[in-house]
Amino acid sequence: MNSSADDAGDLGGQEPPSDELLAAEYVLGVLNARSRLAAEARNGVDRSFADLVGAWQRRLAPLALEVQPVQVPRRVWTRIQERLGWSLERRIHIWRLTAGVAAAAAVALLAVDLVPRWTQPTESETQLTKAVTTLARDDGTPGWLATVDAQHGTVLMVPVPSAADAQGRAAELWLIPPGQAPRSLGAVSIDRAHTVAVPAALRADLTGRAVLAVTLEPSTGIPHAAPSGPIIAKGVISL
Amino acid sequence: MESDINERQGERTPLDKLLSDIALGSRQAFEKLYRDSSPQLFAICLRIVPQRSEAEDVLQEVFATVWRKASQFDAERAGAMSWLAMIARNKAIDRIRSQPRPQTFEPLEVAQELADPAASPQRDAQAAGERERLEDCMKRLDDRRRSLIRAAFFDGSTYEELAARVGSPLGSVKSWIRRGLLQLRECLER
Repeated sequence: MNSSADDAGDLGGQEPPSDELLAAEYVLGVLNARSRLAAEARNGVDRSFADLVGAWQRRLAPLALEVQPVQVPRRVWTRIQERLGWSLERRIHIWRLTAGVAAAAAVALLAVDLVPRWTQPTESETQLTKAVTTLARDDGTPGWLATVDAQHGTVLMVPVPSAADAQGRAAELWLIPPGQAPRSLGAVSIDRAHTVAVPAALRADLTGRAVLAVTLEPSTGIPHAAPSGPIIAKGVISL
Repeated sequence: MESDINERQGERTPLDKLLSDIALGSRQAFEKLYRDSSPQLFAICLRIVPQRSEAEDVLQEVFATVWRKASQFDAERAGAMSWLAMIARNKAIDRIRSQPRPQTFEPLEVAQELADPAASPQRDAQAAGERERLEDCMKRLDDRRRSLIRAAFFDGSTYEELAARVGSPLGSVKSWIRRGLLQLRECLER
């Protein structure tokens, strides 16, 4: 039904309005919650309705530019970066810049302890239910699902299979306790589920406030003392 | 449609360019777009969601959406600022519809002008041209239709809320607004 002004009756009655008017009302914002949801759903699936909505958006949008700009508090930008997962990367970046050779050497001394082993799940893991941590990619899609067992010091990593890095870099898992530098938990597979053993010294840091992140790193020298490549997925640990 | 022709003739504005860079993942472009457009978009959100902390929340949602959907922006179909403004309105209206709203509206004098269009700065030539045409067509509406459409647009009020504000029957308010909208379309497409 696509009626014009002339055939739309008295326009204020109970009968449903034409698609043209419904689209206009949706864009104008006069629909109550229920009608609005219905219009929104239609806008998502009905191409001809979506075209009407688009046309009304173009007609009415210039009105929005009449409103006088209002200064935005600085915290909003900070929160947007957090929301997009950028502030975490900055934290790692700052750490990279400040961590010196000494730190790298110190970590190297611990390397014996740090070398993670891919182990089979223990029996207890098959019997208990555990929380799942999503390591989300930048676009919000999951990259890995992790199950953290703080008691036994293991992290079961289940990847959502993805293409290998074009530059041949390997995926490396990091544990980032709040306010601290990332610690490598070793390599993670991009297409196979496996369990990562967390070194005894780091087990206390497997808390619900720590972050698991995966970066792309040179395939040699894992575990690295500090990340050098981009974060491809991350998430706050769920226990 | 005339507005499309108008837009094709206009030069690509910096916001258009920023959006296409954002679609390719440029955070620098995103930060610049935020600096350039957030005060305007915040103002739009604040009109609809008057509580500041809530409006700040909505603005975050708006920019998270812009980051995700920048590739859907089509300069042939809409100006960049218009596209951004409609995302902001949409998110703000979604917010107030999703929660019970206290009925604390100013009564609406039917002929009252809610903003002075002449007082706001012109942002770019293309937007200015579109605005002028819309303003011109809005002026041709009778006072009642115009002020109701403006109140709905800027405050995100529902038909029911508008009827309470003007103290008129719901059916009359619907009829005035619908006639006004159709008249507006006719004028804009002339």
